[in-house]
Amino acid sequence: MPHATVPSPGLQALILCGPGVSLNTFTSNPKDLPKALIPIANRPMVWYPLDWCHRMGINDITLVTPPESSEAVAAALKTHPALTGLRFKPDVLAPEELLQTTGTGELLRLPEVQKAITSDFILLPCDLISELDGSSILQQWMTLNPPSTSGKKLRWKGGLSVFYPTQGLEGVSTKKDETDFLATVPLPKSAVPPPHGSLRPHIEEIVTFMPTDTLNDKLEEDKGHLRVRQSLLNRHGRVKMRMKHRDAHVYIFPQWVKEFVAKNERFDSVSEDVLGWWAKAGWQEGLAEKLGLDEVLGEKKAEDDEMNGDLADDEEIDPSSLSSTKAAKPVQQAATTASFASRVGGTSAPTPKDRIATPPLLAYVQPAPSPSSPLQPLIRRVDTTAQLASISLYLARQPADHPLAHEHNVHPTASIGLQSRISQEDSLVGHNVTMGIRCNVKESVIGANCEIGSNVRLTKCVLMEGVQVGDGVVMTGCIIGRRARIQGVKAAPVEPAAAAQGAGGEGGESAAAAGDKKGKKKKGGAADDGEEERTRLTDCEVAPNYVVEAGTEAKGEKLMAFDTEGVVDEDMHDGEEDEQGVEEED
Amino acid sequence: MSEPTKAPEAAQLAEEAKLSPAELKKRAKAEKQARRAAQKGEPGATGVPVPATNGTHEAPKPPKQSGPQEQKAQGSQQKGPPQQKQKQGVQEGKHERTGSIQQPLPTRGMPALAGPVKEVQRKDKKQVELFSHLYTQSRRQDIAGASKNVHPSVVALGFQMSSYEICGSSARCVAMLVAFKEVVQTYVTPSEVSLARDLTSRHLSPQIDFLRSCRPISESMGNAIRWLKKTIVEIDPRTPEQEAKDYLCDEIDRFVRERITVTDQAIAASASALIKDGSVVLTYAKSSIVEKTILQAHANGTRFRVMAVDSRPLFEGKSLATSLMHAGLQVEYLPFSGIAYAVKEATLVLLGAHSMLSNGRLQSRVGTAALAMQAHKADIPVIVCCESVKFSGKVALDSIVLNEVAPSEELLLPKATVSHAPALDRKDDDDEDRQVRSLHDWRDIPGLQILNLMYDVTPAEYIRMVICEYGNVPPSSVPVVHRLANEGIM
Repeated sequence: MPHATVPSPGLQALILCGPGVSLNTFTSNPKDLPKALIPIANRPMVWYPLDWCHRMGINDITLVTPPESSEAVAAALKTHPALTGLRFKPDVLAPEELLQTTGTGELLRLPEVQKAITSDFILLPCDLISELDGSSILQQWMTLNPPSTSGKKLRWKGGLSVFYPTQGLEGVSTKKDETDFLATVPLPKSAVPPPHGSLRPHIEEIVTFMPTDTLNDKLEEDKGHLRVRQSLLNRHGRVKMRMKHRDAHVYIFPQWVKEFVAKNERFDSVSEDVLGWWAKAGWQEGLAEKLGLDEVLGEKKAEDDEMNGDLADDEEIDPSSLSSTKAAKPVQQAATTASFASRVGGTSAPTPKDRIATPPLLAYVQPAPSPSSPLQPLIRRVDTTAQLASISLYLARQPADHPLAHEHNVHPTASIGLQSRISQEDSLVGHNVTMGIRCNVKESVIGANCEIGSNVRLTKCVLMEGVQVGDGVVMTGCIIGRRARIQGVKAAPVEPAAAAQGAGGEGGESAAAAGDKKGKKKKGGAADDGEEERTRLTDCEVAPNYVVEAGTEAKGEKLMAFDTEGVVDEDMHDGEEDEQGVEEED
Repeated sequence: MSEPTKAPEAAQLAEEAKLSPAELKKRAKAEKQARRAAQKGEPGATGVPVPATNGTHEAPKPPKQSGPQEQKAQGSQQKGPPQQKQKQGVQEGKHERTGSIQQPLPTRGMPALAGPVKEVQRKDKKQVELFSHLYTQSRRQDIAGASKNVHPSVVALGFQMSSYEICGSSARCVAMLVAFKEVVQTYVTPSEVSLARDLTSRHLSPQIDFLRSCRPISESMGNAIRWLKKTIVEIDPRTPEQEAKDYLCDEIDRFVRERITVTDQAIAASASALIKDGSVVLTYAKSSIVEKTILQAHANGTRFRVMAVDSRPLFEGKSLATSLMHAGLQVEYLPFSGIAYAVKEATLVLLGAHSMLSNGRLQSRVGTAALAMQAHKADIPVIVCCESVKFSGKVALDSIVLNEVAPSEELLLPKATVSHAPALDRKDDDDEDRQVRSLHDWRDIPGLQILNLMYDVTPAEYIRMVICEYGNVPPSSVPVVHRLANEGIM
């Protein structure tokens, strides 16, 4: 992948670093470790969108983060090896009023953010992992937009969002993946069949969009029926509805969206409200006016007219009206406008401008993997722990020529003890890891500066930075937070009963902290039954800095300390992670 | 050692004839790998798969020398004439593999060569020999490799051009100029140079190169670029930067207005006068100026009907028919095969142009010439509407020398199954491949080439009249108009 040789697409990027509600095991302390810095395959989460932007030539990047996390983010940008390796420096913007609970729509209305947006922009979450090259998405956006300046007259740049299928990817997809409800109509066919690998066949126009939660509410309201407006069907013949796709929260927006959002105080979230209303405004009669869309677009027009007032007499022609592959718009549209105006009664008001056509809101809907095309580039949002684990392991599996692959699967500075086996093709070991003898590591990611004792067995585990794992620990499918300690055999005799079981909404789990320690180092070989005193963790999440007592055996639990920080509940999600309000009780 | 292996090879070759291309490909790959392995000097690699390798290298040298040792000798770079010869041989061998040599190989009777060489030739033959000069640059499909200085609006325009969102000579010209206005505005003059000297070479040329890589520059764009460059150079170096930029933008606006907008109106006015009540206007594909003329005539209250002839792959006639229909005209839409029928009824043929060549010939969308010929035979006046910005100083006798080759894939009809899935698809289809062959597999079908030309050249004698803003002129006056209109500004 050629880095940085791409011409700038003239966009700026806004990366929203949210709180990570459903990663609450690891993000309970946003000052210290905000979601954006949670490692995915040994790189901070925010590296992925940064790198993605960089690869498509965007160097004007702003990280928007709540003030309390800004220091940590800024510090990480200066010190973390993965982030300092980037050849550009993103700005960190921490608006005062930005709380962890602020909605994304509100976020866009904040004066600081409004000021920061000076051109067309792309809005990204910090948890985006995309193998798909951003420039190919951008290319479609550019292709399908009217040429920029000709837009002065009638047409305005549209937006583009990205949806990915949640299903069908082995090892990554789970049943619990959040989905959105999306209704689209096909675009007019391109003049010639697009070249191989082009995304054009999958670009569609959004007509309705809502998160599944909202959909469920609506369904409940209407007793299991989904009401569809007649005007939608009048306007579009072929509406396709999808429920198995999810909004990747990648939005390419033209600049006017900034004003559009500012005008509509009610817009709380970008995905649900901005996207949802914009999509509807495209076909619902009069909605565009209600949303002030005509003013947003019309205002600009007036400005522009003033700007080249001296040239006002020249009719700037729209190149696309000359294009031989485009047909002129039906004249009837003017007729409908006229009738609309007369019905309203105000003959003078909107008539000269006629109704401004709502710019199209497009979507790249990634096709679900099918037998004919089993491999689609991965696009995912990592906002649950399950995703965190599966994506980390997925990235660890990738061969070296993968754009997101690491240079070394086992970092050269790691010191591995004798007879320890690491399956290199599906594991990652960060720098300065020390590992004792006779360890066995399979399909795991081990973060930087971890200290791993002897006879440890790790399978499908994700260890963040600085984790200490004692001797003889056996872990399967675990995610261990930063600087946590998993004590092996022979540890302090303290045994705070069920220390950690305050974990959120799951309720009801009580640790089987049957911690009997024995000062005996066992050989790793016979790990099956005889030694119940070994620490065994299966499918657990361990919070940062938490100490797991020796001999703990746990399965499917969240091991975290009682929250002393008080309320860490937040809703300022950079997307629609408004799943069940997970809360910690104190 | 090549002697004993010859016999099995010959047998192999005989077999090859029966194998499907997919299998052939696999085999070629295996051979290649074996060759590579052998080149590394693997000991004991003299087994069955190797002979092909040794054959390649041994070909030019005396038959007594044996493979592996020889290669090692090469590696150690000993001197002497035989070695040199070998080296050459090796180089050539490499050359073949990358596929950049087209002529048949010199006589090396080694049958083992047949496999890989065939492969190479097959790849090459996908370009039509006669038009090989037009395949200079494959069309850009993505941003990779573009110069860093390309302006965003030019990037967008390039994509729109390569995907035919913006198509047609005038449209491309206007769109380019509009984009260049933004380019000019973002330009910052470096210290110690003047805008007049620096803008063209440093700032504008990457943009033009990028556009060219997306689709070859049209004649009108060429003329506009020449004009723009001249305008830039003529700016007084002492002019303040912002002033110079504004001046340029105003000039571009003026150019668009004078050379295209107003011109179009003038041409439409005079051409629409040729459409009489009861006329049947025949036209081909879509030209913005022809569209304007017809709409103008319709607005004038003339009652006539239009026959739009169209062809693949762009189906531009559809757009024309649609917009005329929206305007309330009576339109008949015909496929290209309906020309003979169309000329029976038509009373006037209106054509747009990609460019008017200096020998009076018309370069326009491929298919125009056939229509003009038919119309000429039927004694229907063929009239070309063309802005002077599209007039060219070039001369072409046929459509071979000056033309544009578009990607062949555009001619393929969409697959029945909508999966436009990329190359991955193909790998899997190996067994499917054998069952059903469609045009989509044309790259794998030996001897099949697809040529997708954009333009053809209509002889001057078929053209009754050319309508430009200088008036109605015969095709023979094209060079005069060109000199008047374009040379003055160059």
